[in-house]
Amino acid sequence: MRIQILALLFGTFLVAWTSTAGAGDLVVICNPSVSLKADEVRDVYFGDKGFAGTVKLLPADNSAAQDAFLEKVMKLDAKKYAGVWIKKAFRDGSAPPPVKSSDAEAIAYVKQTPGACSYVTSAPGDGVVVVAKF
Amino acid sequence: MLNKLLISARALALGVVLSTASLPAAADSVSDAKLEELQKKLDQSMKMIEALGARVKELEAHTSTGTVAAAAAPAAAPAAAVDPQRLEAVEQKVAQIETANATRQSDDSGLPIHGFADVNTGNYNLYFPYFKGTNVGSLDLYLTPKIGDSVVTLAELIFETGPDGQVGTDLERFQIGYQFNDQATVWVGRFHTPYGYVNTALHHGVWLADALRRPKFVNFEDKGGVMPAHTTGVWVTGAMREDNGKFLYDFYTGNGQHIQGGIVDMQNGGNLHGAAMFGSRLSYQFIGGAADGLLVGVNGFTDKVDDDNPINPALMRLNMAGAYAVYDTDTWEHIIEAYAFRDKDLNGAPGTHRSEAWFAQFAYRARWGVPYIRYERAMLDQTDPYFNEQTFGASYYRSALGVRFDINAKSSIKFEVAHTRNTDRPSTDYRPSDAEIGLPQQFNEILAQYAVRF
Repeated sequence: MRIQILALLFGTFLVAWTSTAGAGDLVVICNPSVSLKADEVRDVYFGDKGFAGTVKLLPADNSAAQDAFLEKVMKLDAKKYAGVWIKKAFRDGSAPPPVKSSDAEAIAYVKQTPGACSYVTSAPGDGVVVVAKF
Repeated sequence: MLNKLLISARALALGVVLSTASLPAAADSVSDAKLEELQKKLDQSMKMIEALGARVKELEAHTSTGTVAAAAAPAAAPAAAVDPQRLEAVEQKVAQIETANATRQSDDSGLPIHGFADVNTGNYNLYFPYFKGTNVGSLDLYLTPKIGDSVVTLAELIFETGPDGQVGTDLERFQIGYQFNDQATVWVGRFHTPYGYVNTALHHGVWLADALRRPKFVNFEDKGGVMPAHTTGVWVTGAMREDNGKFLYDFYTGNGQHIQGGIVDMQNGGNLHGAAMFGSRLSYQFIGGAADGLLVGVNGFTDKVDDDNPINPALMRLNMAGAYAVYDTDTWEHIIEAYAFRDKDLNGAPGTHRSEAWFAQFAYRARWGVPYIRYERAMLDQTDPYFNEQTFGASYYRSALGVRFDINAKSSIKFEVAHTRNTDRPSTDYRPSDAEIGLPQQFNEILAQYAVRF
């Protein structure tokens, strides 16, 4: 009986925890060479901001967290985001951000690439700077 | 023991169900997206529980047949066989692969080719109304090879039907640049002349535009346009961000144009007289607030233009000043451009030739499609050699009504009905009249276009 009660409590806790875990754990990270403000992230991913000081910015998307990023930061859906970059690429030759496939890949890219930025939903660890949390 | 485990699993499921059942009460304040996210997680939890239940039942079945010991042995064997060192080696390998993927540069994976294409049909050719029926439109390929972080390149190669009805090839743009920072990028080569909005934002790449075609007088030089849509020269451009928007600028200089066979030519190889054109465009784009999506600007250029008449070559000073406004949001696309010309004949005739041209287009981006309406008017002085020498230099007005339907994210169908009236040719035209080559004085068009991107 005690086990059943514990299992019941655990199940309740499990759902309660998972239902709130996604609310505030999107983290935008950059290479330590980058100094960036949270309100500049949107400009970076729209291609309007290409430099942080003298450092050339190299943002990367992360397919594992892209839906949350587009919703919380860019305020648009994937179709419109792609449309923005199609027009931009055609008009001024800009290339859209490369896409990383996981948090680990995004973190490794940011750590090793001066000017790089990306976003993750897990703890990024050392070797990167956290620009913003959403 | 297994029964207890099964009961515990059921209790776990009950806990999940109970707790999720309580979610709607709290969900009043959360968004639909959040609920969808919760639903996904709940589905995942239920699947996990079902899998656990199935496993318990399987173990129960084994117990009832007395095969638990036999079944447990092979089940335990793989667990015991996991070597921590091997596991660590695999983890390291995975980390190495992820790192390699993360640092892989795009320039060692080939050069992607993107492009646009369109085909058209209607009672007239949409650019050359002396042709009727279906035409192949254009196949537009553009490349953006990555040379380095600050070196930028853009090449655009196009195959399209020309005024003679034949498919020709054109190196539409070829420009190599260096990006110093967000405030300054320098391009050298052949580029879209920065005036107004349409010429740089909605040039080729028909799929990009909501409308079926560009306004006639700002179209390409060989498709009805009367201005130098392309320049071969140097272009400095940049943007300065501030709280409520950004200030954009363009300064450029290039080879003075030449009218060749009635078409303005950008002189890719340089011109004969050595004179240059100079121009600029200054704009402000509002970002955020009530004016979000509004872009306003002014522009102008001065250009020394000659022609290919071997007996009495014309030499003109083309001066243009213009203004434009664009309101581009998820719901609306409104574009207004206006131009004034004050040209001088450099062969000695006194006075200034005055001409004006403008258009206004309004579009509504509905869920089902994008209806638009446009009016364009060009009042071009036919005593001005610059317009008189051009095949498409007639004054005209055009009213158009159209709609765009997106079939999917990469293809669209557009329809347009339009009425066009040429208002000063052929009576003022000393060349073989437009009527003689089949160009009607006024005509009504019904056009359809299928446009894709890839």
